[in-house]
Amino acid sequence: MEWESDETELKAAGAEALGGGRLGFLIRGWEIESRKRSILSSSLLQQWEEKLQTSHLPEMVFGESCLAIKHVSSGIKVHFNAFDALCGWKQEALPPVEVPAAAQWKFRSKPTDQVILDYDYTFTTPYCGSVSIEKMAESGGGAPEESSCNPHWVDCQEQIDMVALASKEPILFYDEVILYEDELADNGVSLLTVKVRVMPSGWFLLLRFWLRVDGVLMRLRDTRMHCTFGESTEPIILRESCWREATFKALSSKGYPTDSAAYNDPGVISERLPVVMRKTQKLIIT
Amino acid sequence: MSDLDRQIEQLKRCEPLTESEVKALCLKAMEILVEESNVQRVDAPVTICGDIHGQFYDMKELFKVGGDCPKTNYLFLGDFVDRGFYSVETFLLLLALKVRYPDRITLIRGNHESRQITQVYGFYDECLRKYGSVNVWRYCTDIFDYLSLSALIENKVFCVHGGLSPAISTLDQIRTIDRKQEVPHDGAMCDLLWSDPEDIVDGWGLSPRGAGFLFGGSVVSSFNHSNNIDYICRAHQLVMEGYKWMFNNQIVTVWSAPNYCYRCGNIAAILELNENLGRDFRVFEAAPEESRGPPTKKPPPDYFL
Repeated sequence: MEWESDETELKAAGAEALGGGRLGFLIRGWEIESRKRSILSSSLLQQWEEKLQTSHLPEMVFGESCLAIKHVSSGIKVHFNAFDALCGWKQEALPPVEVPAAAQWKFRSKPTDQVILDYDYTFTTPYCGSVSIEKMAESGGGAPEESSCNPHWVDCQEQIDMVALASKEPILFYDEVILYEDELADNGVSLLTVKVRVMPSGWFLLLRFWLRVDGVLMRLRDTRMHCTFGESTEPIILRESCWREATFKALSSKGYPTDSAAYNDPGVISERLPVVMRKTQKLIIT
Repeated sequence: MSDLDRQIEQLKRCEPLTESEVKALCLKAMEILVEESNVQRVDAPVTICGDIHGQFYDMKELFKVGGDCPKTNYLFLGDFVDRGFYSVETFLLLLALKVRYPDRITLIRGNHESRQITQVYGFYDECLRKYGSVNVWRYCTDIFDYLSLSALIENKVFCVHGGLSPAISTLDQIRTIDRKQEVPHDGAMCDLLWSDPEDIVDGWGLSPRGAGFLFGGSVVSSFNHSNNIDYICRAHQLVMEGYKWMFNNQIVTVWSAPNYCYRCGNIAAILELNENLGRDFRVFEAAPEESRGPPTKKPPPDYFL
């Protein structure tokens, strides 16, 4: 069963439902919308393959699902979708990771016409969200148009206030959207999801890429974004990226369990994975 | 009403059997399965079903569409367990039907019918949760070793969970495999349960994982030709539309878990073959949420960080 917003709390915070079959709210000058749809059909999947110039995509691509957070007056829109994430995967193009059985397979007699496929089947992506500026057209119509403003992220000293976020403020809106998922042909899991929660003080989200190749490695790439509701025309959005990674071998040398079943929930075990990259950035419009 | 009929009625309500009932059922099933060939002969008419993955209430939808066993003759292509919430009830119902109507239902092995895979993907934990011990998981996984590896309908349609193997060019080679073991990590038996057809290769492909074969159109053509079969029917891969032909109708994937993992929104299919092997794909959707057991409580707010 899905989490449900509390009507009274929403009203007290001055939130308005988006309506028109859309899931989300207008709150303190922000439009927050999540959309959850089925996986792509075979024909759409084929179109995506052509667009991305690949012959392999995750077996579950929630290509029409997304999370979008838009600051109405400035038109700044932070959004999350599978297509942009897969563009990142295509570009990063990590070398494939061999599963434990591969060692044995090297000794198998090979068919004479064997081709070895070498794409990154883990669908690891550096994706940390998309940003655009959508100004409503001045002259009627109301269709959004792309602005010439250029939003980009710059490194900053500020940190996301995790202590404040740990306080149990009421949650006005919560949702989780899966962008893509692959079972690695029963060799683990590759999962990209984004979760959002909206409180009276601001919004917070976590985009998480989670990979477990059974018996080989785990990789966690988290992107957190936080914005405090304020009166300023341009909101301050902080983004923290934290990448963690460990091999099963390294975990076992530290005395941690090495059965894959112990690693179903990345939230629980993330501390065991050493950080390989961490940075905090701020959104700037030029 | 016999004990077995009572157990079937109980399982149809998604109520699991007791541990001792499971033990007795598995012993009976073993006697039947041990006699089956690695290439089990199946007569038409028959209805072929793909992966179920413990989605019990969706399997009930399948029986609504396909008809009840024994009135309908069924062939299930494996992957009964893991991922869904009701692997225990799903597998036991199919097994009980097998014991009750051995000639009206054929169960072949999928790659999830294995000790190793079920320990990672749900069935082991489910048994432990529902019975407080792993005995039921032991009885069931022991039975998995007896499941046949493939089926042959009227000598014309070859059915297998995964696909072909470079170590196999004739059905007789499958017949000589000693199947009563855990699914190995390589070799012919492993390939039959794990391999996938692949558009971008014509012959054989090796997965980027370094293990797992992919096979192309010419491999399928020559297999079908040398074994004098019309086409291959397999499961193993999720297809949004429930079924998918490849290589000029020489192989078809059938997928029977609608709204897979309760979130994919896909349609499921079964393939009905009449006495003349005429085909009819029947598609169906997931059971409505309210019919899937007691509603769960509204979750507390998630203060994720």
